[in-house]
Amino acid sequence: MKLIEVKNLEKVYQSGESKTVALDGVSFLVDKGEFIAIMGPSGSGKSTLLQLLGFLDRQTGGSYKFDGKSIEEYSEPELARIRNEKIGFVFQAFNLLARSSVYENVRLPLFYSNVPETAWDSKIKSAIDAVGISHRIVHEPGELSGGEKQRVAIARSFVLDPEMILADEPTGNLDSKNGEMIIKLLDELNRKTGRTIILITHEESLAKYARRLIRMKDGKVESDIRI
Amino acid sequence: MTTRHLIKTALTALKAHKSRSFLTILGIVIGITAIILVMSIGQGAQDLILSQIQGLGSRTIVVIPGREPSGPSDVAQIFSDSLKEKDLALISRKENVPNAEKIMPIVFGGESSAYGNETYRATVLGASADVFDVFDIYPAGGVPFSESDVRGRQAYAVIGSKVKDELFGGSEAIGERIKIKEKNFRVVGVLPKKGQVSFFNFDEIVLVPYTAAQDSLFGIKYFHRFIISADAEKNIARVVEDLQATLRNSHGITDPKKDDFFVQTQEDLAARIGIITNILTLLLVSVAAISLIVGGIGIMNIMLVAVTERTREIGLRKALGAANRDILRQFLLEAVILTGIGGILGILTGALLAFGVSLILSQALGLSWTFSFPISGALIGFLVSGIIGLAFGIYPARKASQKNPIDALRYE
Repeated sequence: MKLIEVKNLEKVYQSGESKTVALDGVSFLVDKGEFIAIMGPSGSGKSTLLQLLGFLDRQTGGSYKFDGKSIEEYSEPELARIRNEKIGFVFQAFNLLARSSVYENVRLPLFYSNVPETAWDSKIKSAIDAVGISHRIVHEPGELSGGEKQRVAIARSFVLDPEMILADEPTGNLDSKNGEMIIKLLDELNRKTGRTIILITHEESLAKYARRLIRMKDGKVESDIRI
Repeated sequence: MTTRHLIKTALTALKAHKSRSFLTILGIVIGITAIILVMSIGQGAQDLILSQIQGLGSRTIVVIPGREPSGPSDVAQIFSDSLKEKDLALISRKENVPNAEKIMPIVFGGESSAYGNETYRATVLGASADVFDVFDIYPAGGVPFSESDVRGRQAYAVIGSKVKDELFGGSEAIGERIKIKEKNFRVVGVLPKKGQVSFFNFDEIVLVPYTAAQDSLFGIKYFHRFIISADAEKNIARVVEDLQATLRNSHGITDPKKDDFFVQTQEDLAARIGIITNILTLLLVSVAAISLIVGGIGIMNIMLVAVTERTREIGLRKALGAANRDILRQFLLEAVILTGIGGILGILTGALLAFGVSLILSQALGLSWTFSFPISGALIGFLVSGIIGLAFGIYPARKASQKNPIDALRYE
């Protein structure tokens, strides 16, 4: 069963007269449980691709099927539900809520879920435990190091057991040691629970952890190899 | 997202920006404060005036010379001389007004009174001997003047406590002669401290037989008022009709529109004053309401800034599964909670200020002012502030909800 089927995906940004083609006919398939790294120079369309895959935006051409169903068939609230239940996001800039504790940050997706509140606490704590920051549970982002912040963001991304985690340069703001630790966490999530992981990175050394490497250039797939 | 979590989320966001939240609601606080203050003082003024009217007793009917004023420009008409001795004699006859219990003519005016070197400008009230019963006030020292004193046109005076203090200080007043408008009056009684009753402050009054007042003080042969009490509450309307018929007959008037007098019951007066104070209150409340609208615009303004500032948060929430309606509700709720808190603060400050004003009026100025908390005003104020939150919060909230999660996340 294919988790993702992308065919001739196009995304054109139009502002006034100027047109920017971010994706120019991208096609690939993703199985459940894959760990894919996407690489490419900036402006190659990799972030745009990730956003489309994560239902944060809609394509201007081509088709995108997730779990066998085309994105056009979903309404706005349904897309929000899929983002909540099936997809976890990890961002380069962490995007944690300031003035909220680690616990509260990891709890955030639960607010928008159907999970009964009685089950929240154990889910939150086991996610925080899994990324190894239980000792920081009451701290606010301002008191955490970059590596710790990204670990909180990862805990938040899988607290609802999503099918797929999308990570957009999660190590971009980290030193190499912390960066490697974050990738190892993602690798572990992939190996232990079979979650599909799609990772954007600039660093070849980190891309090696993936089992498949897609290189992009000028909005097109340049190469797609298994490693 | 459940309502409880929605409220929690909104409260967390507001707590994160305490000082801005406070500044945001300041306009609402001030608006509601003004409304509560105005309503409370309006109610207090109405209560005060009504209690003074009721000091005369609910069975009291007043006949006033001149045409009934239909507007502010008619006030001058009151100073007419249509109530004469002949009218008093006619209405005093049992067969004309059978249900009248007491009939008291009065004349009054401000006159300077003097004793030795001391002078004091008092209200001189010329009345029949019934005045003591009608106003339920009797001399604490000395005696009241009698009906025969009135008939004998005796220059006797019963003086109020403040008049006594001003003219005599600590020394004895009874038996002394005071000069009112250069005429000698003998003090026969001193009233106890009583304050305002109906339209007279009895502490600052000099009571004299109306005959003496007419002759030697005012030089008039008419009366300023007839004060009549009906024998029973249910007969008030009859007494009014009888008075009107008798006086019209006496004045040769056939068309009631041409009356040169008018009859006022306490109920009329209360209703009339109620209308005036209500209109005044309404006027002031509507001025205060404008500040609420200004406050609402302030909220909208600051919410719009907040929406821009929190673009990244909105994007994040959407990425984590918030639907547009969740964001809309969150921001709307923040606005409503803000204005609701503003409303409560306004109600509290308004009530506190009104209480302060009532203390000043009752303690410092000696008015029998009672503080009243306008419950209906508080409810309306609370509701209105909530509605303002909704009305002025919807636009920023819509803007927030319609942000594209991608643009929102990219926003630096």
